[in-house]
Amino acid sequence: MSIIKVQNLNFKYAKSSIIENMDFQIEQGSFTSIAGPNGVGKSTLLKLLSGLIKPGSGKIFIDSKPIQSYSAKKLANKIAVVHQDFVPAFGFTVFQTVMMSRTRFFNTSGFENQNDINAVNTALEKTDTIDLASRPIPNLSGGERQRVFIARALAQDSDILLLDEPTSFLDFKHQVQIYDLLKSIQIEQKKTIIAITHDLNLAAQYCDESILMKNSTSFFKGKTNQIFTSEKIEQTFETKGFHFQIGNESFFMPLGKFAKDSPN
Amino acid sequence: MNPEILTAKKLLTRIIIALIILALVMLTCSMIGSQKLSPSQLLKKSDNPQFTNPDRQIFFNIRIPRIILAAVVGAALACAGVVFQALLRNPLADPYILGISSGAGLGVTIAVLSGINYTFMTMPAISLFAFIGAIATVWLVWFIAGFTGRRQVTAMLLAGVVVNAFFSAMIMFLSSIAKSQQLQSTIFWLMGNIQEQSFVALWIIAGIVLFGICGLFLIAPQLNILSFSNRDAQTIGINTTKIQLIAFAIASLITAIAVSISGLIGFVGLIIPHAVRLTFGPDHRQLIPLSAIISAAFLVIADTFARTIIAPAQLPVGIVTAVIGGPFFLILLVKYARKIGWYSK
Repeated sequence: MSIIKVQNLNFKYAKSSIIENMDFQIEQGSFTSIAGPNGVGKSTLLKLLSGLIKPGSGKIFIDSKPIQSYSAKKLANKIAVVHQDFVPAFGFTVFQTVMMSRTRFFNTSGFENQNDINAVNTALEKTDTIDLASRPIPNLSGGERQRVFIARALAQDSDILLLDEPTSFLDFKHQVQIYDLLKSIQIEQKKTIIAITHDLNLAAQYCDESILMKNSTSFFKGKTNQIFTSEKIEQTFETKGFHFQIGNESFFMPLGKFAKDSPN
Repeated sequence: MNPEILTAKKLLTRIIIALIILALVMLTCSMIGSQKLSPSQLLKKSDNPQFTNPDRQIFFNIRIPRIILAAVVGAALACAGVVFQALLRNPLADPYILGISSGAGLGVTIAVLSGINYTFMTMPAISLFAFIGAIATVWLVWFIAGFTGRRQVTAMLLAGVVVNAFFSAMIMFLSSIAKSQQLQSTIFWLMGNIQEQSFVALWIIAGIVLFGICGLFLIAPQLNILSFSNRDAQTIGINTTKIQLIAFAIASLITAIAVSISGLIGFVGLIIPHAVRLTFGPDHRQLIPLSAIISAAFLVIADTFARTIIAPAQLPVGIVTAVIGGPFFLILLVKYARKIGWYSK
C-alpha cells in the first residue's frame, strides 16, 4: 500500500523550474533514498513532502488525503522530519530537545505526562543518546547531535520519517551507526523512511527503493539495485568511475581525470 | 544521568518562592525614601480624625503606586525580552530591537516640541504619544518585513534596524531645532524614568501586562521549539504563523505600555532573561514567569536607588539599571557560560 502519492508535482522558485511533472509513490514501511547532484531540488522535494512549502501545482497525498488538508498538528502525527544539522541559539538539554516533539500531546497547562517521558526515554535509548540526556545541545559533536535529532523525530511518534542528509560530515563509524539505526527503526517499528543522501554506496546497502534526480524534468525511481547502476549514476552526475559488486549490491567509485586510477 | 524534568509542581514552588521574595522586596523598598517610614508608624491611628496619618498618605498614595508601577514595567520588559530573543533566535535581542524605542522616542519628542499638554483618560500626552509611536513602529516593521515574502528573522531584524536608524535621525533633527528646556525633558524621558500614574491608569496597566504575561506563558512550549527554527516548529506540529503573531503582538504591546510610562529603561529586558536562563535553563515555561517576577523585584530595587540616591532630586532609573546590570551580568556570564555552553560549536 502506498503511504505517499505524488501526482504531477511542479515547483518553481523565482521563475526557474525546480521540479516538473513529478509522479511517484512510496510504499508503506519502505526505506527510500533520494540522491542527485547539488541543486537538483532534493531538499525542495523533501520540503514539499513535509508540508513546509506548497507545490506550484500537482498534488501530494499522505495516507490518501491531500497534504494541504492536514493541520500542522495532524501532519505531525504522520510525518517527522530530521533537518540538516544545525546548532540552535539556546542551550536546551538533549532531554528537553527530544521532549519538544511531544508538545502536541502536552496538557492544557503545557506539561508532559508519564507517557511522554516514556516515549522520550525509549527514543533516547534507541539512538544511544540516553547518556547525553542532560547535556546542552550546542555542546555535542555533530554525530551526537544528529542522533539526538533522530531521537526527537522518533519520539514524535509519526508513521513517516524524512531525513535531509543524516550522515553528512560523519565518519565511517557514525555513518554506519545511523544507517543501522534507521534500518532497525524500519524493521522494528514499521516506519516508512525517506532519506536524502550523497552516499550512494551506503544507500545501496540499506535502502529498498531509490529516487535518483537528474534534473528538473527527469528522475529515476525503482528498486535501489536497478537505479544505482553505473550508467544511470554516470549519466546523472556527469562523472565517470568504477563500478563493481560486493555480494548482491553494487558499488560506485567516482574517478576524475587526474585520479591515480583514472580510466581516461 | 537523570535529566531534570520540569514538573508543574516544581515550577509552582519556584514561582511562589520568587513571589514571596518580590513581596518582601516591595515592602522593604516602600519603607525607604526621602521620607523614612516604618510599619509601626503606619499602623498608628491619627490623633485627629480630621487628618489622616501623613505617613500613611505617603505610603498608600505615593510609594505603593510607584513601586507597583516599577514592578509592572520590570515584568513587562523582561518577558518581552525573552520573547524577542526566542522569536528572533538571537541572544542579543531586547524589547527595543525592532525599533520600539525610537518610535516611542519620536512620539515623545513630537509631543514635547508641539507643546501638547492635555491628558487622555488620566494619561499625560507624553505617555500617549510614546505608546502610539511604539505601536506604529512595530506595525511598520512587521509590514516592511512582510514585503520580503515570508516574515523571516533576518528581514525582521533588518527592517527594525532601518526603522530605528531613520526614527533616531528624526529625533536628532527635531532635537536640534528644539529649545533647551524642551530638549531636557526629552532627554530625561529617553534615559528612562518611571512616571507616577493615576490609580485607574495603574490598575489598567497592571491588568493588561499581567494578562499578557499569562498569554505568553500559555504558548511557552511552542516558543521553546520556535527558538530552534521555524521549520522544526512546523514539522513538530506547531501553527507557527499563529504562535508567532500572538507572541509578537503581546510582546510589543507590553513593551509599548512599559515604554509609555517609563521611557527607555535599558538592560532589564536583556540581562534578566539571560540571568534566569543561565541559572534555571532556557525552558520558556519557567523562563517567562521567573523572569517576570525577578525583573519586577530588580526594577523595584533599581527605582528605589533612583529616587533616594540624590534625594530629593531623582535619578533616571535607566542609569541605575545599566550601572547595576552591566557588572552583575558579566559575573553571571563568566560563572555559568561554560556550564550552559553557548560558545562551543
